[in-house]
Order: sequence, then structure tokens, then C-alpha cells
Amino acid sequence: MRTFALIVVMLFKHYFRDRSAVFWGLVFPLLLMTLIGLAFGRGENLSFTVGIVERSGGPVAQSLRQGLSRVPVFRLTDESDEVSALEALRRGRRTLVVVLPPAGAAGAVRVYFDQARAADSRTAMVILERFVAEANLTLAGVRPALRVEASPVAGVRQIRFFDFLLPGILALTVMNSGLNGAAWVITEYRQRLVLKRVLATPVHPAVFLGGLVSRYAATNLVQLAVIAFIAVAVFDATIVGSLWLLGGLALLGTLVFVGMGIAVSTVSRTPESANLLGTVLSFPMMFLAGTFWPREFIPAFLQPVIAALPLTPLVEVMRGVAARGEGLASYWPGLLYLAAWGVAAAAVAAWRFRWE
Amino acid sequence: MHPRDVAARGDPSVCSGNFAHTAGAVFVDGNHSRSREHEPTVTAPALQVRHLVKRYGSLVAVAGVSFDVARGEVFGILGPNGAGKTTTLEMIEGLRRPDEGTAIVDGVDVRADPRGVRARIGVQLQEAGFFERLTVEETLRLFGAFHRRTAPVDGIIERLQLGEKRRARAATLSGGQRQRLSIALALVNDPRIMFLDEPTTGLDPQARRNLWEVIAGFRGEGRTVVLTTHYMEEAERLCDRVAIMDHGRLAALDMPRALIREHTPGTTVAVTITSGEAALDGLPGVRHVQQANGEALLSSTDPIQTVHALMDLNRRGALHFHQLRVEEATLEDVFLHLTGRRLRE
Repeated sequence: MRTFALIVVMLFKHYFRDRSAVFWGLVFPLLLMTLIGLAFGRGENLSFTVGIVERSGGPVAQSLRQGLSRVPVFRLTDESDEVSALEALRRGRRTLVVVLPPAGAAGAVRVYFDQARAADSRTAMVILERFVAEANLTLAGVRPALRVEASPVAGVRQIRFFDFLLPGILALTVMNSGLNGAAWVITEYRQRLVLKRVLATPVHPAVFLGGLVSRYAATNLVQLAVIAFIAVAVFDATIVGSLWLLGGLALLGTLVFVGMGIAVSTVSRTPESANLLGTVLSFPMMFLAGTFWPREFIPAFLQPVIAALPLTPLVEVMRGVAARGEGLASYWPGLLYLAAWGVAAAAVAAWRFRWE
Repeated sequence: MHPRDVAARGDPSVCSGNFAHTAGAVFVDGNHSRSREHEPTVTAPALQVRHLVKRYGSLVAVAGVSFDVARGEVFGILGPNGAGKTTTLEMIEGLRRPDEGTAIVDGVDVRADPRGVRARIGVQLQEAGFFERLTVEETLRLFGAFHRRTAPVDGIIERLQLGEKRRARAATLSGGQRQRLSIALALVNDPRIMFLDEPTTGLDPQARRNLWEVIAGFRGEGRTVVLTTHYMEEAERLCDRVAIMDHGRLAALDMPRALIREHTPGTTVAVTITSGEAALDGLPGVRHVQQANGEALLSSTDPIQTVHALMDLNRRGALHFHQLRVEEATLEDVFLHLTGRRLRE
């Protein structure tokens, strides 16, 4: 046991002294998270910038303006004049520009939008129309007979984009450590005859490989902890579920994907070819497995492929635990499927493994 | 000669069938009666190699190699690159499975229990890499963890003069230091039998001589050493017996002196003669005379008598020469004689 611990500690040191590997192991996921967050996340909730052009300051306009300022997803900006407001709209700084009716004149509330950004403007328009409809009812003194009450599914909590993204990034990091990390490292050890040197000792292959897998488990836990910490501290992500459970899932993922990495290394002659094969396997998973966006966003014909990817169940269960605070209860089929991949990878690795 | 020495070397048949004709000469050479402080208690051979064969497709890398190595012996396998030395060694070490034959190492059959063999031996591999970001000391501790039995790391570091590099990462070591670390790794389990594969290849002459002292030290402790080399000087200086290997076969096996005596025309006495060449005929010990580069080269079976006779002739004025060299034949000459090629081409 002490010798096993020594093997793990030495291999851990060996990894940790590779400063560029450690750096990119942390920076790559964080960079991804930042970029994906900037591209798709809207920071907080949905929010639109609405430019208000107010010509007169009449009472109707005033009350409309006040009402609009209470719509949670609208951030109002007062415009000096219509021309500059439209310029800002064209440049993408406003989602809508609303021109309030002049004093005394009831009627048209003129709205400008940019067709180039159809999705955003359509959503904002729907909200605005609903607001105006309600304002009309209020002005007419009618009490609405029906109302919509919305409740979010994740209990009382609303999942924000980074809460959603973080577990995906964590699962992705675990996958990369195996398919890109371990595949490269072991092939390199083999090519440089480091494995042969190990073979020249009486150590059982299972002890050495077990030590290597354990070092990946250790480095992954450290790496994930740092990524999660930065996501929480900088991006304001929240993890609601059990950290122990998440750690356990990361360990399971490490076993499976490092196993796959070893399997990849057994069919690769050079580290470069191992890296290529590892990337060919990991790249589609990175984008398809629901890592960055819900898998429902991806066309239906790809859904069977997505369901078959080993990363998909890991992302789903880690997201369930981290973002929704769930237990494993509804995830057993996925976990078993993931474990089956691990067993298959281990079988290939054991069957094909060569020391040199 | 110490009687135990003879016993430890076993009967002449240890030299395996092909070489029995030279075996008679093995035990009369006075140079090789070394006193050993740690006489091995077991007299069975350290190593019995039986008809090892390794094929790679149609290429036969090792074509039936057999020999025995006695305990405490330094045994050299000499041959050019590609002769099958490393493959032979790796089959004995349990790193490569022989297609035919086997080796019994310290009583353990390598075919049946390769890991058991590896536990008993120290192995220095040719050109194998290290964990580049571990220090010398950490590397020794890590490989120590791969063995049950370990020798103190401090002693090994001191012995291979790696003290200054103790905390240096493997990546920063020079070629000679890497080679020393590689040999240090062969010592971590304090083995009785060591296999060194081209331990001095790529080293400068000074570093090579330093390593020879280290290897001679292993013999002094009663360890059995099997080494491969393509430096004939190394084989002559270090080895009790040398197997000459070529094209996957052993071409000869004996003590270096005996090989030279058996397979070369003897010692060459070279004289640069100014007058009286005719007097050279019929000198004692001389088998034949050859002229080359203004020198007369006398092949002699008895160089001392030959030199005496030459000096006599010189004194009597029958022969005048202004230079005289005596050149011992080397294993290089043996190899040339046996294979028609030079060792390093």
C-alpha cells in the first residue's frame, strides 16, 4: 500500500512539474467557459435594452414609461432624439427603440427593431405587445378574467447559464484528461521506452497502471476544484448539489475516459497519432453531448448519436447534481451505460496493451 | 588458483557443446584466479541459457544460443550492432518471449516465471527513457517501489557518482549521467545478477573508464554481471569470459586470452630494419614474416624468445633495426578472424 502511494505521488509530481500541461489543463476549460458564456449566456436572465424616445412628457407617456421600467427583462435607456436612437439600434446597442406618443394624443406607440436580429427582437416585441395590451385593459378599467402564473421547474431556484454550463465544462475536462491526456502520455512513455524500463522490474502491470489512473484521478479532482472555484467566484455560477457526489462522478468519469485513453494508446504508434485519434473521438462529444448547450438544440437526426456518446450521461448526471441538486436515482441507466464503456475500454486496453 | 574458483566455474561442459574444444584451456590461465571476498554459497550456475531462438517474420534475430554463466563471473557478449545481443539479453531478462529454448536465471525458468526472474536481476536497458521531470533521487525511489527488495538509495547514488545531480531532473542530465542513472536503476533491488546492455556506448573515454571501475566493483562484491558491448577493449578488460556473437549465433566463447590464443596468429613483433633482412629467417617462435610499410611483421607464438633472438642478432651486428614494437592480438583480431569483418563498420 505504501509503495502504491509512492508510485501515485511520484507520478503526480511528474505531472505537476509539467507547468504548461497544468496551465492549459486549467486555462482551456476556463477559456471555453468564458467564450461560450459570452456567446450564449446573457449574464443574468434574459434582458433587452430598450431605447425610449419621449417627445412631450405627457401623462400617458409618463405612465407608459413607468410601466415599462417595471418590466424585469427591459433595461430602459432615455434617448436624446430618434435619429441617434435608431443609429444605436442599427449598431446592435438596443434591441428595440420605443417612441412614446406625444402629449394629448392617444394611439400609436411606435417601435423600431432590427430584422437582422430576429429572435431577440421578436421576443422583446411579444413582451412589449403584451405590456401594451395590459396597459390598454388598465386604461379601459377592465379586470382580466384569466392570468398566467409561471413557475420554474427547478424548484424555487432559477438556473442561470453558468450554472448550466459549469457541469458540462467539468465533464468535458474529465473526458479530455483521458482521451487527450492519458492517450498521449502513455504512448509517449511507450515510444520513449519508459514503459519498457517499468517492464524490466517485477511490478505487476495492474499496479503500475492503477497508479497512473490514480494520479489522473488526483489531478482531475484538483483541476475540477480550481475550475469550479473560479466559475463560482468569477462567473457567479452556483453548485447546489453535493460536492462529494460530484467528486465521485468525476472519479467514475476518470476511470472510464482514462481507460479509453489507454485503449487509444494501444493502437497508436506515436504520441501524435494518439492525440489525433483521441481528438477525433473527443471533438464530436465536446459539441454534441450537451456540454455547452441543451442537447435538444441539436437537430433530431443527430439525437441517436448523442444518446450513444459516453460523455452524454456523464454531462447529464453531473448537471443534475450540480445545477438541480438531484441525486443519482433517475440517472442509473446512464451511469450503467457509462460504466459499460469503461469496461469495454479496459478490455481493449488489457487485450492490446504493449510495453514497447 | 583458488580451488573454489574452479568449482564455481563448473565443469568444462558449461561452455556448451560448440565450444568444448576451447574449454580445456579455460582453467589454466593464471590471470583469472581472483580472490573473492563474497564467495557464492550456491554453486549452481547463475545463468543457464538453452537454445534461445527469436524470429521476427523471416528474420532470425537469435538462432539457437546456449551458454552458462557461473556465479560471480563477468560475462561479455561481444558483437557488432544487429548481431542479436540485445534480443538475447531481453529474452533472458524476461522482457521478450523466446520462440524456442529458455533460460534458467538463478534457478528460475524465465518462460515459466518472467516476473520472478525480473525480481532477482538488475537490468540496465539500452536507450530507455526516464520520467524526465523526476529527479535522480525520485527516479530511484520510484523504481525501488516497483521491487520488493530494495537497496539504500544513498549508497547507490554515491556509488555511481550522482551525488551532485541528486536533485536534478532526469531531463537535465548529460549522456554520461543518464547512463549512470540507468545503471543505478539496475542496483535498486540489490541484485545478485546484473544485466548491462551496452553500458558504455556513447560515452567519452574518461567516462567509459570510470564505468569500468564501477562494473569491476560489482564483481568485487560477488555479483554476476552479463554485459553486451561492441568495444573489444571493454570486453578484454572487464570480462572473465566473452561470447562472440554474429548473425544471431555464438561464433566463439572463452576467456579473452584463450580466444586470442586460439583464433589469432599470435603476437606480432614489428621491427623497422635498416640492414640484414635475411637474418630474420628461422627465428624462434616466428611462424611467418610479412613486410608492410617498411616494417617487418613477425607473427610469433613466443614473443619473448623472438625478441631475445632479435636483440642477439642486433648485438652481433647481423641485423640492424631502429625500432621494435610488440603488438598483442586483440579480440578485434579474433572477430576479424572468425567473421571476416571488423567489429565496428
